[in-house]
Amino acid sequence: MSGNYFVKRVGQAVLTFFATVTLTFVLYQMMPGGPAEALRNVILQQQMGSGNTIDPARIEQLVAQYTNLESDAPIYVQYYQYMSSVFLEQDLGESLYENTAVTTLLADRIPWSMLISVYAMVIGYTGSIVLGAVMAFKEKSRFDSVSSVVVIGLNSTPYYVAGILFIFFFSIRNEFFPTGGRVGLGVEAGFNVAFMQSIAHHAALPILSMSVLGLGAALTMRGNSVRVLGEDYLRVAELRGLRNSRIATQYVGRNAVLPMYTQFMIGIAGVLSSSVIVEQIFSYPGVGMLVYEAIQVRNYPVLMGSLIVFTLVTVVAILIADLTYGFIDPRISAGGDNE
Amino acid sequence: MSNDQEGLETLFDADIDREPVPRSQRLKRQFDLYVAAPCRVAMTDWRALVGTVIVAVFFLMGTLGVWLVDKPSSGDAPVLEPPFQNFDYILGTDTFGQPIGAQLIHATPDMFKMVIAGAVVSVGFAALVGVVSGFLRGTTVDTTLMSITDIIITIPGLPLVIVLVAIFQPESPYVIGVLLGLDNWPGLARTVRSQVLSIREESYVEASQIMGLSTGTILRRDVLAQLMPYITVNSALASRRIIFESVGLYFLGILPFTTFNWGVMMNIAYEGNALNRPDMYHFLTFPLLTIFLMSFGLVLFSQGMDSVFNVRLRARHASTIDDDGGHE
Amino acid sequence: MSNTETIFEVRDLNVTFQMNRGQSRVVRDADIDVARNETLGIIGESGSGKSMLASSFLNAVVEPGVTTGEVTFYPEDGNPVSVLDLSDSELNRFRWEAVAMVFQGAMSSFNPVTKIRTHFRETLQDHNRDIPAGMDRARDLLESVYLDPERILDSYAHELSGGMKQRALIALSLVLEPDVLVLDEPTAALDLLMQRSIVTLLRELQAEYDLTLVFITHDLPLLTKLADRIAVMYAFNIVEIGTTDDLLYNASHPYTRALLDTTPDLNVPVDEMDIIEGSKPDPVDQIPGCSYHPRCPLADDHCRSEEPAMMTVRNTQESACFYYNQAADAVPISAAPSHSPTTDTATDGGDR
Repeated sequence: MSGNYFVKRVGQAVLTFFATVTLTFVLYQMMPGGPAEALRNVILQQQMGSGNTIDPARIEQLVAQYTNLESDAPIYVQYYQYMSSVFLEQDLGESLYENTAVTTLLADRIPWSMLISVYAMVIGYTGSIVLGAVMAFKEKSRFDSVSSVVVIGLNSTPYYVAGILFIFFFSIRNEFFPTGGRVGLGVEAGFNVAFMQSIAHHAALPILSMSVLGLGAALTMRGNSVRVLGEDYLRVAELRGLRNSRIATQYVGRNAVLPMYTQFMIGIAGVLSSSVIVEQIFSYPGVGMLVYEAIQVRNYPVLMGSLIVFTLVTVVAILIADLTYGFIDPRISAGGDNE
Repeated sequence: MSNDQEGLETLFDADIDREPVPRSQRLKRQFDLYVAAPCRVAMTDWRALVGTVIVAVFFLMGTLGVWLVDKPSSGDAPVLEPPFQNFDYILGTDTFGQPIGAQLIHATPDMFKMVIAGAVVSVGFAALVGVVSGFLRGTTVDTTLMSITDIIITIPGLPLVIVLVAIFQPESPYVIGVLLGLDNWPGLARTVRSQVLSIREESYVEASQIMGLSTGTILRRDVLAQLMPYITVNSALASRRIIFESVGLYFLGILPFTTFNWGVMMNIAYEGNALNRPDMYHFLTFPLLTIFLMSFGLVLFSQGMDSVFNVRLRARHASTIDDDGGHE
Repeated sequence: MSNTETIFEVRDLNVTFQMNRGQSRVVRDADIDVARNETLGIIGESGSGKSMLASSFLNAVVEPGVTTGEVTFYPEDGNPVSVLDLSDSELNRFRWEAVAMVFQGAMSSFNPVTKIRTHFRETLQDHNRDIPAGMDRARDLLESVYLDPERILDSYAHELSGGMKQRALIALSLVLEPDVLVLDEPTAALDLLMQRSIVTLLRELQAEYDLTLVFITHDLPLLTKLADRIAVMYAFNIVEIGTTDDLLYNASHPYTRALLDTTPDLNVPVDEMDIIEGSKPDPVDQIPGCSYHPRCPLADDHCRSEEPAMMTVRNTQESACFYYNQAADAVPISAAPSHSPTTDTATDGGDR
């Protein structure tokens, strides 16, 4: 891997991230009446309870504290201050309600969402790969056509519909799994078996319903495998009298799975973004729930911060995928233009 | 349109260097190529058939259905009537006494508006960016467009849409559709661009360049014709996505409840604890089923179309070969 | 022929495929013997069944093709092997150990995600060979095909040129010391210069490793430089077989003669061999009588009703034609073959 490619790719990632942060700045400015006006009502409501009287200057000050925007300064100064607080101070502003930094709120929640996203993708893809491979080996058989319909059916099921069905059948009809939360009451946090079990128990259904998102990959895997099965090198491998197990794993498996690697990495980021809906259904307190709650009360700093963090995860996932792909698939010489 | 096809035809003629064919025969061949062959395949490909039927039924729901069935309002009927009991509200009624079937039907037009706005904007924009970028490969325009595409491709769609929706509270189904279509175009634009690049390599585009046809003509005649399969398949998939996301957002209550929507129905049912109340099961089940069916139809349609178009490409190939043989 | 030892004996070989419109027979009742250490060329148009015939030497006709008949392999010591009756595991051993095959798609014969070294190693491993000794042999083989062993072993297929891949594949085919090497159009995708050097190389390898070569091609000029004997296939069966000189100077089947006639200069390779007038034979609706009669100037009612068996023309030559002794007059070859086995004039093809 050439250093040049590395620098170029990382530069691209940084640029993308920079552009997203700029986008959030633009979104603040595009709010009806500008950020100050848009936040005034929210702040007024929130301060009302405390009995303080609020003068316009105080509001400006609060807006700046929450959003890093000096709304009375010229636009380029605002932009500079906003960007520098994000990039230089890792400051995404402050929640309108909890008096907590957005970064802290997100840092608390991200691991839980990553947990279910990564597992959902791993499970979804593992299932897809196995199913797709078997379908390809039995191409045009009854199993193949029935599975195709089932996969298309599952693929047509929105993950939130899957979530509702799972809750209904596995939490309400049969109390196999809890209907919400991320860990049982009274379970002592820490590195102990009960805690781990409780986490797995609570995460199972969200993971399962999001893994539906990864199942479309079965058809991709099937297509890739069918293509590999028709390749010359597979015929030569058979002529060489290689063992079937080797042909299945080293030849069909590797060649069919490799092209799905990037898709998988991007998928993790995609699943994380979808957590907003799933976590709400399962009352699973991850980033998704945080966003959901923020929407209800127009907690803009949290919303913008989440958008930035979601983008950061995506950028990093794609960057890792691109930088490591060259090691995994020797055909792609890193540094080549990926047309 | 016929002008386009004629252009394509003359191109084929020039390509294999033989005398012109009478117009009637030409039209017949065009018909075989673009209408008869795809239809024949569509009839044999069950996915295309089932998909088309499902989408057509939904289309009828959104047009004829709305005209035939009255718009539901609260108190139309007894509250929480179970399904398949009364012919007037065959799918039962909800907690406000609104017939569920009528609600599902009246939610369809807005769904179509959303899908059309979203799919048209995202697919159209993607095609434009992809084609321009592909044709100006290597120029500053290409580099700039692709850099922007790469940036937007990375911004996660759903969170962005959620922020946009939270800020602007859109009510018009068209606006919602466009917002939801926003995260769709960059990926497609890249696909279109690489398609354009590979089409450009193909010999008959080269032939038309040698024949001195302008870039615009080539673009219209060859490239768009070849991209149609892609665009159709992707429109169907984009539509499915827009439906998924809009229903999801209505279900969460993030989009304002201003119209009938399957997601709104699900939200009311779910919030009303339908999962624990057997008398409310139908209130939740039918919207779920509707979304599933619509999505299933669109996926089948896109896959069916994919193979239909592939067959058309094959048929075109085959007919060229037959023509050669016929001239002996 | 009769005084040499036979290594492969093919009798009544049929290869069929079930298709929607009926059974497709792509090899029909073929009989052929291969002598130990000879180079047998099989030539035919594309779609004449020659690749299927070649595949059946390893019982490797692709699914869903059905191979029937007898294919007997006579090892140097030990009992004859009936190839079509081998069990899966026996067949896995037989392939590459007794008979190796280099076929048409040589350009993509290597697993793109593993190094060439892995290909050698896994072949040795799955045939329970001693790996260090086998790898030494692999290096020798690579050297004898004029490749730098260490460099090639550490490469991936996509890092090699077409000619290098082809030679690496030939080296790989010999790593288990097979007796027979079947080559199905091994040079089709190579440029002229490379084609000729592969041919030279094969001759060297044959001498060095006591190989029997079966070389399938549609390139008659190429074959005349390599083969001891040539079998001509037409419409899914062998229509003439003889030594290279028999066929060049005394071809006795009208089809062979037509073939020679359309190949005026044996030093220029042909790209495609469907240049003979008339429609191509159909593997499903096969016509009665001699399969060549619709194109043959000698055809009469006898040819249209009865299928000719192989007739002995001379000790070394057989022809499936009732009128084999009239063929020379009926199908004149306009340009006398300017065959010159000793001078390889490859200069004209350097820029291809």
